[in-house]
Amino acid sequence: MEILDKTIQGESGPVCRSHIPHIIKGIACTCNRRSYALCVAPHAQILHERARTHARSLTHSHRCSAALTALLAAKDTYLTFLQQMIWVIFSVWSNGLHHEGDLVTLTQLWCLTIVIMASVMQKLITPLASGPAEPPRNKVTIVGVGQVGMACAVSILLRELADELALVDVVEDRLKGEMLDLQHGSLFLKTPKIVADKDYSVTANSRIVVVTAGVRQQEGESRLNLVQRNVNIFKHIIPQIVKYSPDCTLIVVSNPVDVLTYVTWKLSGLPKHRVIGSGTNLDSARFRYIMAEKLGIHSSSFNGYILGEHGDSSVPVWSGVNVAGVSLQKLNPDIGTDKDSENWKEAHKMVVDSAYEVIRLKGYTNWAIGLSVADLTETLVKNLNRVHPVSTMVKGMYGIGEEVYLSLPCVLNSSGVGSVINMTLTDEEIAQLKKSADTLWGIQKDLKDL
Amino acid sequence: MASTKEKLITHVSKEEPAGPTNKVTVVGVGMVGMAAAISILLKDLTDELALVDVMEDKLKGEAMDLQHGSLFLKTHKIVADKDYSVTANSKVVVVTAGARQQEGESRLNLVQRNVNIFKFIIPNIIKYSPNCILLVVSNPVDILTYVAWKLSGLPRNRVIGSGTNLDSARFRHLMGEKLGIHPSNCHGWVIGEHGDSSVPVWSGVNVAGVFLQGLNPDMGTDKDKEDWKSVHKMVVDSAYEVIKLKGYTSWAIGMSAADLCQSILKNLRKCHPVSTLVKGMHGVNEEVFLSVPCILGNSGLTDVVHMTLKSDEEKQLVKSAETLWGVQKDLTL
Repeated sequence: MEILDKTIQGESGPVCRSHIPHIIKGIACTCNRRSYALCVAPHAQILHERARTHARSLTHSHRCSAALTALLAAKDTYLTFLQQMIWVIFSVWSNGLHHEGDLVTLTQLWCLTIVIMASVMQKLITPLASGPAEPPRNKVTIVGVGQVGMACAVSILLRELADELALVDVVEDRLKGEMLDLQHGSLFLKTPKIVADKDYSVTANSRIVVVTAGVRQQEGESRLNLVQRNVNIFKHIIPQIVKYSPDCTLIVVSNPVDVLTYVTWKLSGLPKHRVIGSGTNLDSARFRYIMAEKLGIHSSSFNGYILGEHGDSSVPVWSGVNVAGVSLQKLNPDIGTDKDSENWKEAHKMVVDSAYEVIRLKGYTNWAIGLSVADLTETLVKNLNRVHPVSTMVKGMYGIGEEVYLSLPCVLNSSGVGSVINMTLTDEEIAQLKKSADTLWGIQKDLKDL
Repeated sequence: MASTKEKLITHVSKEEPAGPTNKVTVVGVGMVGMAAAISILLKDLTDELALVDVMEDKLKGEAMDLQHGSLFLKTHKIVADKDYSVTANSKVVVVTAGARQQEGESRLNLVQRNVNIFKFIIPNIIKYSPNCILLVVSNPVDILTYVAWKLSGLPRNRVIGSGTNLDSARFRHLMGEKLGIHPSNCHGWVIGEHGDSSVPVWSGVNVAGVFLQGLNPDMGTDKDKEDWKSVHKMVVDSAYEVIKLKGYTSWAIGMSAADLCQSILKNLRKCHPVSTLVKGMHGVNEEVFLSVPCILGNSGLTDVVHMTLKSDEEKQLVKSAETLWGVQKDLTL
């Protein structure tokens, strides 16, 4: 074991042939001890890299020690171990066998593999179908494992929407901790694979990518203040996502969501129907909750849309507000105006203030936004053609001439935004949308390096 | 003049709507409490959820955040207050309140701090929900389940500790990873103390009725070449590792608590390894709570499955019982 340790630390210099049997014995003892393998893995990685880049210049013994320590980095299943073994043998072979010593080493390694493979797993299970594993069909990636990202993750997992979940972030410890915590609950879930890494390769082949990364509003801070800070973060994130999942649909959650959805669209090069901002999906959910409580019914039986900018200048479409097809505006023509004696306008004000209120009380909001993202994900993954108020590219609609993202009722399906519902808006509501568009464009045109 | 509501809706029923039938209260809105709450909500287990804590702002914020998601849930009433009256008529009360392990700290260190907190919480719960089932999650769970039992005056079938339900879930996850099978088909039971001295029952570990110890007689011993013993060691170390990486554990324990609530509320009579009074079983003579496989239903923990344990496994249980009793006898209740 000491020799093994020294090899890894690189202290004993090139490993000579007589060391190899000891090393192999050492591997046989340690191979299945993941905890040992995990602490060895960083060293193995380094040697692995060196072996790959300097394969030809390494001496035989360097290659062997590199290969052997690479074995130690073999992680979970026996199958992975076998794949690693085959790679090692192939690469040692292809790097040129000059020595009969190489042959001896390879034989020993091969025998070792056979010994380990005659395991419980072999006796218990007879594999029938060989070949590479199928790629996931409903993979969801979540970028950012802060409170919002994890609320999205748990909601998606508990709603059984994905067959694989990938998490990405820059804070490695926290990322790994969150992944382990979710994996420990796998008995209670129907998502068999949960992975996480700083490297975006782990996100490959995602159908949906939820972007929650970025800085969040401090107490009293408006969403627009966060812009430039978050644009810089996105310049790093978005190209990597698209590199590994060129066919994905992106859901942008980070604030200010409308601006950042525009930024995401520009940085990704994806067609506009594949980039969605979570937008006023949450505002509308809050609105429906508050209004339904006033009437004593469930929020899903109360229909009403809040459109436009997700934030202080969102637009409640009072003309569409209804229960069982009965328009509330017909019952109360003053609804939503200042002369309304029942002050229904207050409900919209409460929606706008909600986020600030919850942030003031508990420091951040996460559950409601997580649930709303899971709701959108369900529609996209299951190709439901449901209507959601989400942030989409509205140039050309309602007289808006700029390339901005605002929330409108969109029909979502597996291709993203399939179509947009043309709501009949009053002149005042259209004017509010136009005003939001102007404000957003005012910010967007100053953004650098898109 | 009639209001909009009156014009829209005509009330016809002469009865008051019935009270909640499946109410769940979560005591403590920290990370574990909220993870349990969201798991319970997403599994559609309850028609009313109550949250209680001492930190009023955080409590109100959490309740609001959950209420804002009502559109996506099937639990129409979510209430929260510092005052325990909001918890009235609960069927299940999940207790997550208390201090949590710091990095490197063992669960037993938390005892006296959490006993004092329980002296306030438990009587308040019982006052408003005298027929509830208590599910204790706070650590050290086995001791605190004993404390909750003593302080509540409830019969032993109504006080359950989440115990090794989570340890067993972690064990089955790791076993599933090793074998390439979903954890729900990898059967393995970890019993005894929830913590460093839990007992993996190797003789029961099986897939589709094939006992793995039959295939590998050294399983669980030090001479095992495949080192299955390390799987159990990783289960014991899991909590410490996750705490070291992210500061606390929440999701797995939250989902495990929701799993137990589901069996209770839906009267499933499923078998779970949870913490119950084991005096008189497996050679234990003290009044202590340890995890053994139990049947859970709507009257709580109704039956205990008697496992055939090897003598060294029974010795471990007896030893845990002695350790726990050593701590319990010094507590002022």
